[in-house]
Amino acid sequence: MKLFLQLIFIIVSFLGIWLGLSRIDWMTTFQVEKASNDIEEKLGDLYWDILKNVNDEIKDKELVSPLDSLLTRICQRNDIDREKIKLHLVDKDEVNAFALPDYHMVVYSGLIQECENEAELCGIIAHELAHLEKGHIMQKLVKEVGLSVLLSMATNTGNPEIIKQAIKVLTSSAYDRKLELAADLTGAEYLINSGIDPEAFATFMFRMSAQEKGLPDQLFWVSSHPGSEERTQAILDYSKDREVKKEMILDSLQWVSLQEKLLKD
Amino acid sequence: MTDATPFAYKPGEHEAEKASNSYLMSLIAVIAGLPLPIINLIATFIFFMGNRKGTYFVRWHCTQALLSQFSLLAINTVGFWWTVSILFRDGQVSNQYIAYMMTVLGFNLVEFVATIYTAIQTRKGKHIVWWFYGDLTDVLCRK
Repeated sequence: MKLFLQLIFIIVSFLGIWLGLSRIDWMTTFQVEKASNDIEEKLGDLYWDILKNVNDEIKDKELVSPLDSLLTRICQRNDIDREKIKLHLVDKDEVNAFALPDYHMVVYSGLIQECENEAELCGIIAHELAHLEKGHIMQKLVKEVGLSVLLSMATNTGNPEIIKQAIKVLTSSAYDRKLELAADLTGAEYLINSGIDPEAFATFMFRMSAQEKGLPDQLFWVSSHPGSEERTQAILDYSKDREVKKEMILDSLQWVSLQEKLLKD
Repeated sequence: MTDATPFAYKPGEHEAEKASNSYLMSLIAVIAGLPLPIINLIATFIFFMGNRKGTYFVRWHCTQALLSQFSLLAINTVGFWWTVSILFRDGQVSNQYIAYMMTVLGFNLVEFVATIYTAIQTRKGKHIVWWFYGDLTDVLCRK
């Protein structure tokens, strides 16, 4: 009986101290969110600086504004602050788009050329936006690159070779299936709320996965997003009973003009 | 929390050294700098198994050292996997998490200081009985 009471006393003491300490706002005291945002901001800038140095960013307003309009619509309809997202259009033939820390979103011109309509492009934007909103970028980096490497990168003490490898993790490798599926379904929800049929995104993925067999090097977005057939089905299942009031964002001339201009450039 | 009480007999020099070592085993992970909470328990358990046929004084202290590791293992394991879930899954740092880690750190510190103190005193041949763990050891460890 004495032993039992002593055991209860230890457990109660532990829980009591824990619950007591939980009432203190440690998050503010230690500025946890600020520290984590600072690291993310530094990593985002570092990633983007490196990418910018080896690629040409397209600044032409006629090309950037249609893309910006698509992103803005999705953000507005889903209560996402558009201002925090740094959208970059990069002149590169690869069919690729990816998200970087601190809300950088990079879209390659090759991807826009591969899309048959704005809904397909919106699908990819919504998917990458979902990765950003769900915090998948830092999760993936911590998992695959390691916290110590990320901290050394953020404090400019990282090894250049390791930084190069860390860049590859975000630009040309997959998130795990659970995160991809979560981004697909959240992205589908964003599309439905924005008046865009997710079926177009599913069609794009299906088409790309079929083409990938012949052209593996160019289709980065699909090769870095495996299991496209299963995921296509998951998106279709998610949206099959949902009513989508389709609304165009760009007029058909704007879309054609965007693709033609990118082709000329 | 710890009391020096008279033992059934006066332990010899060799016994005191072995009994003292059982406490040092439970600090092995700290010395090695390993974050895995199970290491301490395994090291103490191996030492316990190696001395289960030893003299009463040695067995008694090996048992007390082993038992003290069990409760730490439980709270440290929760802390370890909670941290893993934050780093590698979608867990979030929260006030509850920070408070838990502080509580765990506090309990580990108390246990660390008590272990070192007991190791030193036991080496001198003194019989140190921990609150709760000492009584539990009395029940489990037969003469």
